[in-house]
Amino acid sequence: MSELIKVKQQGEERCEGISYQNLLDEETIEVPAYLREDTNPYMGDEDISVDRWISRDFHDKEKEKLWPKVWQMTCREEDIPEVGDHHIYEIIDQSIIVTRTGENEFKGFINSCLHRGRILRDCDGHADEFVCPFHGATWDINGEFKGIPCKWDFSHLDEKDMSLPQVKVGTWGGFIFINFDENCIPLDDYLSPLPEHFSRFPLHDYYKGAHVQREVQCNWKVGAEAFMESFHTLETHSEILTFTGDANSQYDTFGDHVSRSVTPMGIPSPHLPHVTEAETMRDILELSGRMATDSAEGHEMPEGITARTYVAETNREMFSEIIGESLDHATKSELEDAILYMLFPNTQVWTGYHGNIVYRFLPNGDDHNSCIFETMILLRYEKGTKRPDSAEKNILRPDQAFSEAPEIGGLGPVFDQDDSNMAAVQKGMIASRKGAVSLASYQESRIRHLHQSIDKYLNA
Amino acid sequence: MTTTADSLIPATDITDNQTVAVTVEGKNILICKANGDYYAVDNQCTHQRAELTNGRIRNCYLACPLHGVRFDLRTGMPKGELTRVPLKTYPVSVAEDGNLHLELD
Ligand code: FES
Ligand code: FES
Ligand SMILES: [Fe+2]
Repeated sequence: MSELIKVKQQGEERCEGISYQNLLDEETIEVPAYLREDTNPYMGDEDISVDRWISRDFHDKEKEKLWPKVWQMTCREEDIPEVGDHHIYEIIDQSIIVTRTGENEFKGFINSCLHRGRILRDCDGHADEFVCPFHGATWDINGEFKGIPCKWDFSHLDEKDMSLPQVKVGTWGGFIFINFDENCIPLDDYLSPLPEHFSRFPLHDYYKGAHVQREVQCNWKVGAEAFMESFHTLETHSEILTFTGDANSQYDTFGDHVSRSVTPMGIPSPHLPHVTEAETMRDILELSGRMATDSAEGHEMPEGITARTYVAETNREMFSEIIGESLDHATKSELEDAILYMLFPNTQVWTGYHGNIVYRFLPNGDDHNSCIFETMILLRYEKGTKRPDSAEKNILRPDQAFSEAPEIGGLGPVFDQDDSNMAAVQKGMIASRKGAVSLASYQESRIRHLHQSIDKYLNA
Repeated sequence: MTTTADSLIPATDITDNQTVAVTVEGKNILICKANGDYYAVDNQCTHQRAELTNGRIRNCYLACPLHGVRFDLRTGMPKGELTRVPLKTYPVSVAEDGNLHLELD
């Protein structure tokens, strides 16, 4: 076997449970090509220095070479539905006014007044024009300068370009992205193959049904990595093992900017030998937080039907009712598995027909020891009806639990379990005598992939 | 002392995310509707006293048209750095005759 595929899931060193690809063989509906992709080139097994998460120096390098170069998700299109609506996107010490300037047109302005530098907009909202609160210099929403009081005192500005400086803007799937780099690669190239893989999930047509944010006392990468492997399910979320194929997850990397994990659901963990189909069915409905219903009451499985099939069919029926569209073409996998993509560097999106989770991890201002964790839930709405308003962001206090946010339902308690590790990892890394972390070859390969991609930017 | 102003306007005259300015006992008050509920606030931004009549309502927040401070219509609390002074809010309800009913104190 070549070194390159040494640890591929289908190689010799894999868990004993059924592989995801073998589960796909059991589908009765044609399996789309993107699910059949199985790509995990060997990236090495070396330890990784904790400096990457805990050192100021590394944070400064990211500030200088990573964030100014990458495409970053700022908000949803439906967050700013009308011309003149804007969202203030902040990353480390930069601030951008992401503005809707036309029906399908967005611009990103540097949020700094060209007079004496005050930020031009303090918060999200709507404006017919941007009036600086300090002395009243004004721009239209396209960034054209409209004047400043006491014009007689500013004739020296007449020659100058007084339009608001802009960053690059692009959209995909209803998300608005910006890039500070004039010479960046086009967004479409950067995203590839995400749009193709999401072609069955028209995210631009979904709406944001929930948005919860909280500060977490760890580096933004520690936060992101908490959602990049299913290996931790065994110890961190043991109550979901009756319906989660944790160790038979598949992990893929696609180029520098995209990776994914697929964790089969509706089957018990290979770590748990004696689970009945009825237990799997009951627990997935009640505990996963992602199924069409969160109660198992009244659900009886007909003889001979597996929990995986029963739950997929339940989801198919209920989801298609909600969205007013047939889901006959959907595989069981797409109806229930945890198929989670990561878009470099800090955005993660689940596939799914209703209730797609999105995570984002941003550095908390200029602090490398804390981050802002956000989760959104994208929902569909009945075809032909008006798109519901996007949910207001619920900002939890640092001492609040995620389970205090009712809008994320069963995910709250799961996040609380993840949360119990995040700050603790940061603390432990700082205390580490070893000074490095070790990664599982396969199950934690996406974390290595993230760091190798970061290095490509830092060393460019 | 509590003053009540009945028969303000018919509740059906105002739709979601709309504002209507009314004068009650010499006070300029803004009636708002958001997510199906009615709210009444002083029609004057606590930052620089701009009128709020043309402000946008989104998700229970009213944005000042001048510099954009957003006020939570439920509590009057502002978001952002421009002001920390809450907007005064008044209880408003739909009376039996279908008109909005306001309480000033
Ligand atoms: S700083 Fe903006 S007008 Fe003076
Ligand atoms: S007057 Fe309302 S924000 Fe300035
Ligand atoms: Fe987790």
